[in-house]
Amino acid sequence: MPVDDIKPTRSGLLLARRRMALAERIHRLLAMKLDGMMLELIRLTEQAARERRELDEKYAGAQEMMAVAAMMEGATGVLLAALSVETSPTYTTEYKNVFGVRLPDLEPVMVKKTLAQRGYGILGTSSVIDDAADAYEDLLMAIITSAELEGGIKRLLDDIERTRRRVNALEFKVIPDLTETLRFIVNQRDEMERQERTRLRRIKKIKAKRAGSP
Amino acid sequence: MPPKGLISPSCIYACTRFRVRRTTLLPRDEYLRIMRMSIPEVVAHLGQREYGQELMDLAHDFAGAQLIEEAVNRNLAQSFQHAIAIAPGDLQTLTGEYLNRWDIANIMAILRGTVHDIPRQQIRDLLIPAGEVDSALLDRLLGFTTCNEVVEALQGWRLYPVLAEYYRTCGEQGIFARIENELYRQYYAGLLNPGTFGCSGCQELIAYLRFEIDITNMRNLIRLHCAEEACDLTVIDQTMIPGGRIPIAFFQRLYGIETEGEFVNAFLQTDIVPVLAQAMRELRQDPGFSSVDAAELVWQRWHQHRRPIHEVEIAVTRIRLHHLESLSRRHPFSVLPVLAYLERKKYEVFNLRAIARGKAFDLPPERIWQYIVL
Repeated sequence: MPVDDIKPTRSGLLLARRRMALAERIHRLLAMKLDGMMLELIRLTEQAARERRELDEKYAGAQEMMAVAAMMEGATGVLLAALSVETSPTYTTEYKNVFGVRLPDLEPVMVKKTLAQRGYGILGTSSVIDDAADAYEDLLMAIITSAELEGGIKRLLDDIERTRRRVNALEFKVIPDLTETLRFIVNQRDEMERQERTRLRRIKKIKAKRAGSP
Repeated sequence: MPPKGLISPSCIYACTRFRVRRTTLLPRDEYLRIMRMSIPEVVAHLGQREYGQELMDLAHDFAGAQLIEEAVNRNLAQSFQHAIAIAPGDLQTLTGEYLNRWDIANIMAILRGTVHDIPRQQIRDLLIPAGEVDSALLDRLLGFTTCNEVVEALQGWRLYPVLAEYYRTCGEQGIFARIENELYRQYYAGLLNPGTFGCSGCQELIAYLRFEIDITNMRNLIRLHCAEEACDLTVIDQTMIPGGRIPIAFFQRLYGIETEGEFVNAFLQTDIVPVLAQAMRELRQDPGFSSVDAAELVWQRWHQHRRPIHEVEIAVTRIRLHHLESLSRRHPFSVLPVLAYLERKKYEVFNLRAIARGKAFDLPPERIWQYIVL
């Protein structure tokens, strides 16, 4: 029922008070959720920045290992080793609940592989291929971790924005409107009570006047 | 066939040709000059040498470092095909046998490409037909759509029995790695075949190969030890190449050692240590680097589960190559000058490739120089 539809009656007053209590409780809870999400956001942002720095370092390391591998084995040798890959690396997506927000939880699948799982023969390759494969596997792991954190931050930011809008709506629109409505109802009810009293006094006077006249 | 002890004129002629061809390879100062050039300058410089034709042929499809790599690979293939063609009799057999490793790489690339349905041209660009399986047969193999057809078409290949024995189902998990390992094991077994013991310089060649096997086994043992998961003795057995001076049982024992003293003592017994110490002395310019230091260095890498240092591997390769060349000078009319040329040519191509790739990745010249085998 919209605030404007509330009638200045006792039941209207009770209804407005109930709504006011509810709005204040929701506001308090959403403000707490917002604070919690902000703390989580700060934690995730710091972690994501750390992971991003690590990712940059791993990327530089992987590039260097690729350079060494291309120098020692040639691009042909590296491509031949890459051709041996039998299972492509991938990830599974699950979600974890943080303050009611579904943050992505990415699980790498077949990213870090054993020598046997890589598919190339040990005798046909050299250790530089192992190093390059290790470096790129670490890089992929770092990419997945960064994607998980940055995806989480994005969702958290979206939800923070939405929650902040709700908190603001409650704080600056719903609660003030309800306060105004309550004041209006109280005033109206006071006014009605005064009118009623005046009316009763007037009737009493009229009755007394009638009784006093012959 | 000339009587035993006498060297045939065709062998003398072929060995002389290989020695002459050896002199046409790039000398040290040429590398120093190339190191100062940019990639387009390297292309222009190589274009004026024996790589000109290949560069001209491939310039339409490739550019920069890729062009250099493709051109030198093609030149390598042609040089090796020519080497097989001019080597007479037993030398030809041995040369073919020695160059079989290129066939293994090519055939494994075709098998894997067929399984993964890689575009044929892409696989063709990866092949270096430097062995006995020539371009025509490789092109025919590339035309097949299934591995069964590829394997059937290889019935005349020297290593076909290994393929036939281990190949079961196309695309079976891990089967290609197993086949590849077995092919290389059989490749070395063929090279060490007692039938070749009678030829001139073969004893020295076998000693050289046995040491190469030891180095390869040790390097691969360190690779296995670096893996996160522990492997069992069967894996070591399947990965080690038999025929080296060091028995496989020694590597199996070494794999289980986790104390420094025991490891260093065991490792000091191998022939690898003096060569490694010499490589380290040259690499670090430190004349006091002893065999014990070398063994301790290996122990540190072993203990930390880290792989061999690439620069050290290259330094060991340099020493082995110098050793092969000194052997070829001592036995001028044997199989050794042929193999010395083949190895030198291979490393010339590897060097040019390393320079091109190093420059493409903007590595400093002193870093690139560490990967040059001279």
